[in-house]
Amino acid sequence: MEHLSNATIQAFYLLFSGDRDLWRIIGISCRVSSLALMIAVLPAIMLAFILSYARFIGRRFVISLFNTLLSVPAVVIGLTFYLLLSRQGPLGDLHLLFTQSAMVIGQIALCFPMLVAMGHAAFQSADKRAWETARTLGASPLRALLTIMREIRFGLLAALLAAFGRVISEIGASMMLGGNILYYTRNIPTAIALETSKGEFAQGIALGLVLLLFAFVLNTSLHYFQGKGQVIA
Amino acid sequence: MSYIAFSETHKAFGRRHILQGVGISLREGQCCLLTGQNGAGKSTLQRIIAGLERPDSAQVDVGDGYHSWKAQRKFLQANCVYLHQQPFMFDGSVAENLAYALPRTLTKAERLHRIQVALTWAGLEDIAECWAKTISGGERQRVALARAWLRSPRYMLLDEPSNNLDEDAKRRTLTLLESLKVQGIAMVVASHEAEQYRCIADEQLDLAQGRISARTGVGSTLPPSNIIPINKFQQA
Ligand SMILES: Nc1ncnc2c1ncn2[C@@H]1O[C@H](COP(=O)(O)OP(=O)(O)OP(=O)(O)O)[C@@H](O)[C@H]1O
Ligand SMILES: [Mg+2]
Repeated sequence: MEHLSNATIQAFYLLFSGDRDLWRIIGISCRVSSLALMIAVLPAIMLAFILSYARFIGRRFVISLFNTLLSVPAVVIGLTFYLLLSRQGPLGDLHLLFTQSAMVIGQIALCFPMLVAMGHAAFQSADKRAWETARTLGASPLRALLTIMREIRFGLLAALLAAFGRVISEIGASMMLGGNILYYTRNIPTAIALETSKGEFAQGIALGLVLLLFAFVLNTSLHYFQGKGQVIA
Repeated sequence: MSYIAFSETHKAFGRRHILQGVGISLREGQCCLLTGQNGAGKSTLQRIIAGLERPDSAQVDVGDGYHSWKAQRKFLQANCVYLHQQPFMFDGSVAENLAYALPRTLTKAERLHRIQVALTWAGLEDIAECWAKTISGGERQRVALARAWLRSPRYMLLDEPSNNLDEDAKRRTLTLLESLKVQGIAMVVASHEAEQYRCIADEQLDLAQGRISARTGVGSTLPPSNIIPINKFQQA
C-alpha cells in the first residue's frame, strides 16, 4: 500500500516537474492521434454525407458495414496492418512497420468508421429542408453542404471528439504497428503497459492520469455539444 | 417571353401514383392557383417544377422545345424558387437568412442595402436581428417570401404561403404576391383555400386523382393558354 502511495506522489512529481521523457511520450500520442484524425476527417465526412443524401444500390449495406467496423478491436486492426506492412506482406516494400506512419495508418483505420457512423447519424438528423432551401436559393452543392454542416456542427463535433477519444487511448494498434520505441513510437498507452510490466508504477500512474484527464475533457465537451444540438427541435 | 411548360408528368411513391400525366405551364407575370385536397400532390408537383424532386417521367419545355426533366433540371433549379409549406430557417438572424439568397459577388454595402429593402418590403424591420429559428410561424412565412424574392427568380412556387397567417398578415402576403406579379415573376400558388387568391390568380388548376381535373380561367375571359399578362404594360 505504501508502495502505491509513494508511486502516486512520484507520479504527480513527474507530471508537474516537467519530466522530459514523460512529456515526449504525451507529445507522441497527441501528434500521432491528431494526425490520424486530420487525415481521416474529410473523406469520412464526405462519405457520411453521400450515405445520407445520395441514393444508390448497396447504400444500406455500406452503412451497416461501417456500424460493424465500429466494434472491431484495435488489436485486430493492428494485426491486419501488421500482416500487410511486415516485410513479407504486400506493402512490405514501404518499410513502414514500427514507424509513426504505421501508427497513424492504424489509428486512421480505427477512427474512420467512427467518423462515418457518427457523421452519418448527424447528417440524418439534419432537416431535409435545409439542403433543399439552400439549393433553391441558388447555393452551389458545395455551399449547400457547408450550410448543412453548419446546421449540424454540434453533431459533427461530437463525432470528432468521440473519434479522438478512441484513438488516443487505444493500445493494440499502436503496440503492434509502432513497436513501442522510446522517443519515437512509444505513446501513452504503450508506455503505461511497459512501465507497469516493469513494476515502475509512477510513470504509469502519471500517464494514466493524463489519459483520464483527456477522457474527462472529451466526454464533458461531448456531452455539452450533444445536448446543444438537441435544443432546437 | 419566358415560360416553362410541363407535360406528361408522372410520379409515384411506392405503388401510389400521385401524378398521372399532369401538364402545367408558367408564364411571365402570371399567377396560377393550384388547388386540391390534402395529399393530392400539390407540393410534389411544385417540387418537381422547382427541380428538387425527380419525377418518374416528365417532358419539360423551357423555351427550347420539350426535353426530359433531367436535361432541364439545371435551368429549373437556376430559375425557380420553391417555398416550403413549412419554411426552413437557417441558424442565424433573420437578416442573415435574407443574406443567404444574395449573390456572393455583391459588395458589403450593396448587400446591406438589398437586405434593408427586403426587410421593409415584407415588414420585417422589427425582427431583423432576431434568431430566425425561434420566430413565429407567420413571421417565418414572410421571411421565406422575402428571402426568395432576394434571389430574384423568374418563377416562384409558393406552397401554402398564407399558412399560419392571421387576417392582417394574409392581406399583406397578397399584396406582396401582387407586387411579385407586377415584377413579372411567374407564380404557382398551392392552396386548398382558393378563395383568398382569386383576385391575383389568372387561372386555377385543380389537382385530383393525379390529374389536373378542372381548368378554369379566373379573373380573365381568355382561355388559360393565351393569357396576355396585363402586367407587362404596368412594368414598362
Ligand atoms: N417522399 C415521399 N415519400 C413517400 N410518399 C410521399 C413523399 N412525398 C409525398 N408523398 C405522398 O404523396 C402524396 C402527395 O403529397 P403532397 O405533399 O404533394 O400533397 P399536397 O397536395 O401538397 O398535400 P397538402 O395539401 O397536405 O399539402 C401524399 O399522400 C404523401 O403521403
Ligand atoms: Mg403540400
